[in-house]
Amino acid sequence: MRKILAVDDSASIRQMVNFTLSKAGYEVAEAVDGRDGLEKTGRQKFDLVISDLNMPRMDGIEMITAVRKLQGYAFTPILMLTTESQAEKKDAGRKAGATGWIVKPFNAEQLTAVVQKLIK
Amino acid sequence: MAVAGRSEMAATLEQADRELQELVRDSEDEIAGVVRDFGDLARETDVILSLAAAIVECVEAESVLSVLGRAESLGIAARQFLEGRLKATSGVLDTVTSEAKLLEGLSELTREQRAIARETQTLSVLTNIEVARLGELGNGFQYLAHQLDDFSESVAKGTKELASHTEERKRAIEETRRMLAVELPHIRQELARMETDLGKALAMVNSRLTALLETPEQFRVCVVEIAGQIAGVVAAVQVEDITRQQLEHVSQGLRIVAGKVRGLENGNLEDGDFEGSPEAPRIAAGLQIQAGQLTNIGETVGEWVSRIRTCMDGILRIGCSGVVEIGPKVLLEVRELSAQLGGIEMLEQESQAVNGEVQSTLAGLSNLMQLVGEHLARSTGARDRLRLLTFNSIIEASHLGPKADAILEISQSIKRLAAVWSGITDQSGQAMEEILQLVKQVQEGIRHFSEEGNHGLREAQSETGAGLETLRGSADFAARQAKEIESSTGRMQAKTAAIGARADRLEGCFARAGGVRRTIEDLGRLIEREVPGALGRCDRVEAESLFAAAYTTEIERQVLRAVLKGEPLPRRQMSLAGNDVELF
Repeated sequence: MRKILAVDDSASIRQMVNFTLSKAGYEVAEAVDGRDGLEKTGRQKFDLVISDLNMPRMDGIEMITAVRKLQGYAFTPILMLTTESQAEKKDAGRKAGATGWIVKPFNAEQLTAVVQKLIK
Repeated sequence: MAVAGRSEMAATLEQADRELQELVRDSEDEIAGVVRDFGDLARETDVILSLAAAIVECVEAESVLSVLGRAESLGIAARQFLEGRLKATSGVLDTVTSEAKLLEGLSELTREQRAIARETQTLSVLTNIEVARLGELGNGFQYLAHQLDDFSESVAKGTKELASHTEERKRAIEETRRMLAVELPHIRQELARMETDLGKALAMVNSRLTALLETPEQFRVCVVEIAGQIAGVVAAVQVEDITRQQLEHVSQGLRIVAGKVRGLENGNLEDGDFEGSPEAPRIAAGLQIQAGQLTNIGETVGEWVSRIRTCMDGILRIGCSGVVEIGPKVLLEVRELSAQLGGIEMLEQESQAVNGEVQSTLAGLSNLMQLVGEHLARSTGARDRLRLLTFNSIIEASHLGPKADAILEISQSIKRLAAVWSGITDQSGQAMEEILQLVKQVQEGIRHFSEEGNHGLREAQSETGAGLETLRGSADFAARQAKEIESSTGRMQAKTAAIGARADRLEGCFARAGGVRRTIEDLGRLIEREVPGALGRCDRVEAESLFAAAYTTEIERQVLRAVLKGEPLPRRQMSLAGNDVELF
């Protein structure tokens, strides 16, 4: 079963992502912020990461930059799930290594379809 | 503004900040609870939808509608069977009635033959008398007397035997006729009853089958709507994250404003200097902006609490009684239709029994026919003997001349009797032929009726029986699924009270934000009274830079700009469909 890591300081957002993608047959793990996300990716290989941008301790951009340096994560799809919609933020995300950008609230069906496309 | 007033304002703002932080903590638990509860509801609706879809699929896959066609064919086959039986029974009754008439005729002929036998006996006595009178001359006629005697005895014996069998046969066919006379109205009654009952049963099955097809689909459509509402609430809950960030930024904003007020306080500005201070417009702007953000937050929360309540109402209105009842109702109709099948089977068995009796009655006729045949053969022989006797006696009498006039007269009587006998024999033969023809026709009709009529009926019964079994299976399945649907719906409805209470608590939580907003607005009005036009003097770029630096959502920026421009606040467009994924 494919594994996905959902990183967000909001419990309800993590629950939403978990609920949406579990229904589609994925195993979803959760991390409460960027640092927690980095630790978990260091311990275990995930097939895809979905991360918020603004988080305490370590934000999404920092986390992506660090995760890309981990072994096995150079090409792992990483989607940003954030309230931010400004072009400069998206650009920063892309440069850090994000694969895609979703402005909250996400479309559950769309998210599932994209995840299925990214990790066949 | 007096120093004391500024100190109080700062304290009020710091208190408001603390209240908002507490509100964020308190609401987080409730929001997480809402997400969990609606996740459960979404799972239940998935279960219900798959159960309802399974019912629809089962009913369609098994082609239960074909049951109606088969049952109608059965009705036609049963009607044809009964009509055939009616026709055959009428035919047999006609035959038996005709046979009775023919037997009556045969009896009459037999009586006439017995009369001839008696007359012949008399002639035998008279001949004996003449033979005695003629003495030696009469010796030649002795044999005539014996012959007449023999003839009479043989005929009497034969006709007695025949009469006995004929009477027996008449009784047998009378019984058969009585039985058939009862059977015919019974068949007509059964035909009428079957048509009415089967017609009613078919109409009910038709109605139930239509409901079996339509009800789960209607229910499914209703649940799909609820599922949509649940999905809408679940999507709207994502907005909570935006709202939470907004609240945190309002808290930050209040701390900034409180800091500026404290700064003024610490700067030991005299009362009259506040009005001229550059901080006054910033403070005024800060207060207005936070009030605007709290207004927007209140509207957003109000909208999705309202969505939660609408969804709960919809769930409570889910009526699954229709889908729960339809399975058992169809089973009831299946039982009724099966009873009709059983009734038709009984009719078939009755018919077989009647056929059996009729066949045995008709078979009894062959015994009689054999006796009649033998009697006819004897009659024909007797006729020839009588003719020979007549001829011989007339010749003998003519030789004797007038002395044998009495013998001659006897001979003429014999001749007359022989002619009558011949006629009777011919009539008996004709009657027997007619009966044999009748019997052949009826036997042919009954055989044809038994083979083809039963075959068609059995085939239709078998097909309808198979169709009913399939329908019973589908109805059973529907009933079981419906019970599961009922349980699932019950669980959803039971949850609505808890969710409603949670929505109440959320509303209460965010009502505190409303209290904070009113406090801030009061402070804003105080500033405006103290420093009229303060907000208008605020540098928008500076204000945006000061308060929007931490903003992470577009709606916050929109609210800030609207407040600074004095425009109406934007309403959040709650996109229930959610936003698309942009891939790089």
